[in-house]
Amino acid sequence: MMFYCLLAFHLAVVMIAPIYLLGIINRVKSLWAGRRGPRLNQVFFDLVRLLRKTPVYSVVTSWIFRIAPLIILSTTLMASLFCPIVPGFAPLGFPGDFVAFAYILGLGKLFLMLSALDTGSAFEGMGASREATYSALAEPTLLLGLGTLSWASGSQSFEDLVVTHGSLPLDMTLRMTIAGALFVVLLIESSRVPADDPTTHLELTMVHEVMILDHSGPELAMVQYASAMKMTLLAGIIASILNPFSAGVSLPSTALAEIVSLALIALIAVSVGLIESLTARLRFRAIPLFTLSAFMAVVVALVITAANQQVSP
Amino acid sequence: MDFLFLGTLSLVVGVFLAIVLPNNRVRVGVNLASQAIACVLILAKTIPVLFGGPTLNGVLDWSYPIERIDLRVDAVGAFFLTFSLPMTLLGSLYAVGYLARDIRGRRHVGTHFALLSTVQISYVIIYTVQNAFAFLVGWELAALSAWLLVIWDYRNQKIRFAGFNYLISTHLSLLFLVAAIAIMHGETNSFQFQSFQDFLGHPSARRNIAFVLLMTSFGLKSAFFPFHTWLPRAHSAAPAHVSALMSGVIHKAGLFGMLKFILMVGMPDLWIGWYLIGVSAMSAFVGVLYTITQRDIKRLLGYSSTENVGIAGIGFGMGCLGLTTGRPIMAALGFGGGILHVLNHALFKCLLFYGAGAIYRFTHTIDLEEMGGLLKTMRWTGPLFLVGSLASAALPPFNGFVSEFLLYLGLVQPDPQLGSARVPLLLVVALLALVGGLSALSITRAFGLMFLGVPRDPNHIDPKARENPFMTAPMVIHLIGIAVIGLVPAVGVKLVEAPTQMMLELSSAPVEPLSAYVPVSLTNSLTLVAALFIGITSVLVMLRFSLLPKSNRSHVTWGCGYTAPNVRMQYTGSSFSHPMVTVFRDILKYLTREDLPKSVFPKDGHYNTHCVDSVERSMFKLLGDGEEVVTQVMRHIPEGTRFSYWLGLAALVLLITLFSLT
Repeated sequence: MMFYCLLAFHLAVVMIAPIYLLGIINRVKSLWAGRRGPRLNQVFFDLVRLLRKTPVYSVVTSWIFRIAPLIILSTTLMASLFCPIVPGFAPLGFPGDFVAFAYILGLGKLFLMLSALDTGSAFEGMGASREATYSALAEPTLLLGLGTLSWASGSQSFEDLVVTHGSLPLDMTLRMTIAGALFVVLLIESSRVPADDPTTHLELTMVHEVMILDHSGPELAMVQYASAMKMTLLAGIIASILNPFSAGVSLPSTALAEIVSLALIALIAVSVGLIESLTARLRFRAIPLFTLSAFMAVVVALVITAANQQVSP
Repeated sequence: MDFLFLGTLSLVVGVFLAIVLPNNRVRVGVNLASQAIACVLILAKTIPVLFGGPTLNGVLDWSYPIERIDLRVDAVGAFFLTFSLPMTLLGSLYAVGYLARDIRGRRHVGTHFALLSTVQISYVIIYTVQNAFAFLVGWELAALSAWLLVIWDYRNQKIRFAGFNYLISTHLSLLFLVAAIAIMHGETNSFQFQSFQDFLGHPSARRNIAFVLLMTSFGLKSAFFPFHTWLPRAHSAAPAHVSALMSGVIHKAGLFGMLKFILMVGMPDLWIGWYLIGVSAMSAFVGVLYTITQRDIKRLLGYSSTENVGIAGIGFGMGCLGLTTGRPIMAALGFGGGILHVLNHALFKCLLFYGAGAIYRFTHTIDLEEMGGLLKTMRWTGPLFLVGSLASAALPPFNGFVSEFLLYLGLVQPDPQLGSARVPLLLVVALLALVGGLSALSITRAFGLMFLGVPRDPNHIDPKARENPFMTAPMVIHLIGIAVIGLVPAVGVKLVEAPTQMMLELSSAPVEPLSAYVPVSLTNSLTLVAALFIGITSVLVMLRFSLLPKSNRSHVTWGCGYTAPNVRMQYTGSSFSHPMVTVFRDILKYLTREDLPKSVFPKDGHYNTHCVDSVERSMFKLLGDGEEVVTQVMRHIPEGTRFSYWLGLAALVLLITLFSLT
């Protein structure tokens, strides 16, 4: 029973939260700029509008371009099945599933880049090249961060390695460090400021947006929805790393864990919005350094874990 | 052992007939038949061994000074034989398509097929003999036939140079092997591997020297960094099926050698595991880094081989580490993942090289920057190459992911005994992740440039070109292997169970079979993931095309306001890799030749960039300027004085003392 409740909650968050996540970010940016901003669920109406439109395909494109948005969406949905939103629960779990998570998302990214190259446009190739570079540089941070958590918690399953053990100050430091590093990964992977600016109007300065210049109608809707869902998943991981409660113990604590996770995800959306309001996009040359800083944070977490193991074997 | 003799006899007859028969078609047909007979005869016996049957033993009496050659087909040997023989047969089948014009023409194609048979004979020798002398003969046979296969188009000077480069490198490898065997022979006064085992099983300084020499030799053979420089040259020069076989099959003998001698060492020392992990991690990283800058598709695939042997080597190193520290699960995942990656690499790398060959026959170029839009014209090769690329980037649901998944799982195993030594293991996790990201970049670039967009160079559109079924069929068969292992990882685990078990039995702790460490529930989960993924995708496809608006409306690609785009304005390969190249600019050296337009009335200028292998360049520099360095040093030693005599004598005494102490 508990399993089905949790499953329903998980799927609901994965499906619905992306819309509100973007809504919160846009609202925060608007408020900061002194505007009222769109409705929180405006993204939903935008997506529905796109789904109804008849797509226009570039004459250059092949079947890759038609199939890619579907694969991007299905890989993201698939990845969501391993990804914990509350600690201690994911619909699918097996040892090493966090590796499968990263690689399945990688498959989707690869198809996005291929569909960009399929249009034969110089601009979209440029976007694909940037996406390939920055996500390759962010990948080690994600896997080393999760690997370190796996060492600290002694579990190789994604849903369990995010569960907090005790309240050692060291453990909390470790979690904060890794969560910080993963937040950087989130900013890069979901193309937010300072790695990319989703609102820029100049193709030369885009990363994600320039790759989907030729997508239209339902294809565009699917790519945008999948991209927002990926951001939700990464926010969900960070939330469950920081969440002190975990699912499955008892009904009240499970409910509490769910509420805390949702609050944390909302908080992450607010911080993304604040960062977007307060800072400018980094120069592209500086982004490798940005990823390096996140990686170094994870290495620090790794060293903390090693020291922790020496103290209390 | 009759099956081995009969199989080898069939191959020898095939070599003979391919040379003497009168007509190219007959030669090729008879040779392929002989290879097929040999495969059936040998595989019928090795497959039971691979699935846990008893080891097959035999003796071949020989004259002085060898006297006897022990033959043994154990699980590791059976594993390598079982994939090498049929894959080489497939390569020969591919050659029928690739060399179609030569077969129709006047050139004697029989020699080429005879050499492919010789390569098959060399597998039988290398993977079964238990005698160092016979092993060396097999090693040399493989090297020489591979060299002759590489220089098939010997009229081209560049190809002769690449072949010569390969010949020297492979003999350097032989030199190290001979040195190691000389040490072992000196210690044991025997050529039998049985007696080597006694020597290698006891730690000593000379044992360590012999082991490092062996690993260097095998590293050279399998193109580990920094011994990889011959590989991209040879692969780019050779016919596609020869590149495929060299990369996927022939040079796996180096990895076999590693496993074989680790088996002889018995319980490995701690340094052996770390040494293997270090060398392999370097290979994986440097190999994949060079793939992102290559313009020549076959060079790119060559560097990717260095990456993949590195990944397999990480598995072997982890396996040794697991044996030493008494962690059978780590050993099982390390060896299991490593050995499975050997097979997986052979499957997808052959497919990719075959694809590259098909593209070459179709467009008459191997330069990525001149291709484009091939997905519309090459209806078979395109999707096949895509699957091979995805497998080589270790993406699910294909086979490369399965072996890398096992390695990841081994690297994150909890291990109280290793303590803070787990830090480097987790850093290897980060490195593998980076390698995965880089290889995704590299295959996106390669596939995108070749198959997507529109053709970049009208000179390379051949309206008469057709895909040859002899070239497509081997690719399809490789695709089936890739899909089966990727969708049902249990098959892959089953295939490597017996070889892994042999490695695990070196452990002093009681061990269980690989299936105990990689439980069925885990492989089933991976199958479930693949099935769910395919299910979700098909549901989405159905929903998309049934509910949502379809359209045939098309328009030119959005040119961001520019209204007169042309095909040369598509993104280029060097621009694609540029952001990553700037990150690693200290490793990826570019050679620039420029003559830029100057002054008020400029003449035509040019600007060339070329990514060169920094290892190769520094090696050539050392070879070219090395004598000068030595001369510089020598000049400072005074000539003909007593001082230098005494100094030399003292150095000699010191050396001898050191050597005798060890």
